[in-house]
Amino acid sequence: MNQETAVRNDRDTTSHLPNNQIKVSARKVQVYYGDTHAIKDVDVDIEDRNVTAFIGPSGCGKSTFLRCINRMNDTIPIARVEGQILIDDEDIYDKRIDPVQLRAKVGMVFQKPNPFPKSIYDNVAYGPKIHGLAKNKSELNDIVEKSLRRAALWNEVKDRLQLPGTGLSGGQQQRLCIARAIATEPEILLMDEPCSALDPIATDQVEELIRELKGNYSVVIVTHSMQQAHRVSQKTAFFHLGNLVEYDDTETIFKNPKDERTESYITGRIG
Amino acid sequence: MTDAPATIADASASRSKGSLLEKDARTKKRNAAETRFKAYGIIAIGIGLAFLAALVFSIVRNGVPAFTQTYVTVPITLEAETLDPEGNRDPADISGVMTFAYSPLIQQGLQSALEEADVETDMSASDLTKMLSSSAENTVRQRVVSNPDLIGETEEFRLLASSRVDGYLKGRVERADLERDRNLDAAHLDIVDQLQEAGVVSRTFNMDFILGTDASDNRPEQAGIGASMLGSFFMMLVVLALALPIGVAASIYLEEFAPKNKFTDLIEVNISNLAAVPSIVFGILGLAAFIQFAGLPQSAPLVGGLVLTLMTLPTIIISTRASLKSVPPSIRDAALGVGASPMQAVFHHVLPLAAPGILTGTIIGLAQALGETAPLLLIGMVGFIASNYPEGVASGFLDPNSAMPAQIYEWAKRADPAFYERAWGGIIILLVFLLSMNLLAIILRRRFERRW
Repeated sequence: MNQETAVRNDRDTTSHLPNNQIKVSARKVQVYYGDTHAIKDVDVDIEDRNVTAFIGPSGCGKSTFLRCINRMNDTIPIARVEGQILIDDEDIYDKRIDPVQLRAKVGMVFQKPNPFPKSIYDNVAYGPKIHGLAKNKSELNDIVEKSLRRAALWNEVKDRLQLPGTGLSGGQQQRLCIARAIATEPEILLMDEPCSALDPIATDQVEELIRELKGNYSVVIVTHSMQQAHRVSQKTAFFHLGNLVEYDDTETIFKNPKDERTESYITGRIG
Repeated sequence: MTDAPATIADASASRSKGSLLEKDARTKKRNAAETRFKAYGIIAIGIGLAFLAALVFSIVRNGVPAFTQTYVTVPITLEAETLDPEGNRDPADISGVMTFAYSPLIQQGLQSALEEADVETDMSASDLTKMLSSSAENTVRQRVVSNPDLIGETEEFRLLASSRVDGYLKGRVERADLERDRNLDAAHLDIVDQLQEAGVVSRTFNMDFILGTDASDNRPEQAGIGASMLGSFFMMLVVLALALPIGVAASIYLEEFAPKNKFTDLIEVNISNLAAVPSIVFGILGLAAFIQFAGLPQSAPLVGGLVLTLMTLPTIIISTRASLKSVPPSIRDAALGVGASPMQAVFHHVLPLAAPGILTGTIIGLAQALGETAPLLLIGMVGFIASNYPEGVASGFLDPNSAMPAQIYEWAKRADPAFYERAWGGIIILLVFLLSMNLLAIILRRRFERRW
């Protein structure tokens, strides 16, 4: 019941913001891991050129739901997704959709920095190469430089592009992964707890980066840190035990939550 | 209220552990158990090392003599009237002269060698030639046939000594052993002693053992392992060319793409089972499938290679899957996350990281196949068959040949103790190959292993 109100609220708020189009629209999404019902009836609309945060206690399904948006759950044999997720009004679980093409449009940054054990240059250039985004070497160089600049990493690595990406510090590695994700020019960027393995300074850099990316992308970030959600996002969704409990403007969620579970979580009584 | 301090004091008294300088009974017992366990471990390792040392010692002691060989240097006058009765130096006529015509020449040569060395004996000339290998006539003849200009000259020939003489110089044959010997007796050995002082009989490094071909039962001094080494080489080519691609492709499919269901579970269980199947079973399978059913030539390295491929595949598949499994899933996620197809993720990222493990597994599998004997017995790669070098590559794959371990087995079962010495020598060569392959595996692993 609460969830229905949440959705209705959400529709109300979007109507107040006419310049923000809906990029991702999920309806009645169910995810099963074998017999476990991990995500129950999630309805959510994610806006373009905005940061949406998913918060909630561990095991609440926020990462699982995030991985539905670029069909990374396909790689888990026992996972099963039902319901409908529309990106630009196309059902991404349609039979005709190729998940490989989808993932070029929906980039992802993972919890643990996972650069390829290759050079910094090759890490960023890999996506554009396999998608044929660069006609020649100099175009590829441009894409690599642009992506690294946007990931605020260029100045630190421009002299050592041929060194292995795994040799960078944790924060640099994560920004490298972000550069790698944006190099393929996705329209949506999914971030699964991108700062959980980073120290406060690196976290700050990544958050700054997320705020900048907002101008071009629809960013969805899963985070354990409520402060982080508060700092970077415009909309926040609170997940609990596989349900989307509440979804609203970040300010509303943190200042004036409608559901008592949200309030308990925000104030630190559960979670 | 009043007794509260007392309770606290009691509690702290019972909590006191006593002095740390003294070990309590429990600690002593635990330490003793630990010392005992360490001792057991050291004893176990010691026993293992002792066995290894005994093995290495006996192999070296028995095998090293095979690498030297006794030769007799004989000046032989190649009489024209015997070897070229027509006198026209026609190669066809010269090769028409059979080996028995050379016997008297060799006898004369040996006698003149004895005279030169001031050795006096009343032994007959034919009796004396028993000191030489029965291959002597053939050796001389081959040289004459290939170079007819030698006819009429007196040439020095280094001829193989008989296996008894060779054994005597190596300390394997004693005078007492010759009492029951039909070929040689103690008098021969006295002559050998004198000839050795004169430098006519000498023992040198035996390249023919490493590069030569097998010889018949009564000429152990002529036998070499070279031809069967080539047999092993061609078999390994077949194994590498088949087992590596098939094994790696099967592993990649099973590990990265196959759905997890009862059928793939069954395949998995069976691969593990195949790895434990005795190799002789693969031998009889090869005999039935490749020779009797498919009609491939018997004793051919091609068939041996096919059988060993079957035997090596489970090893390669298991080690390849293990190294694919050890690539962190985050690398796959990263590749799929930027929109790589599953195949691109595997070939661009997973496979390069797994390559050192795959290579190591393959080399270990090859080494295992190289040392395998039992299946070769069943497909006929054993016996006196490695007596000729293969002529070219096709012949290398298709003509009957033996392999190193089968050749060793063949020598070990022959009666003459001189063959026994060859078997040990062959084991040294085989071990050198195996150890260098394992070393290569270690080097590759060290060199290419990447950390992430």
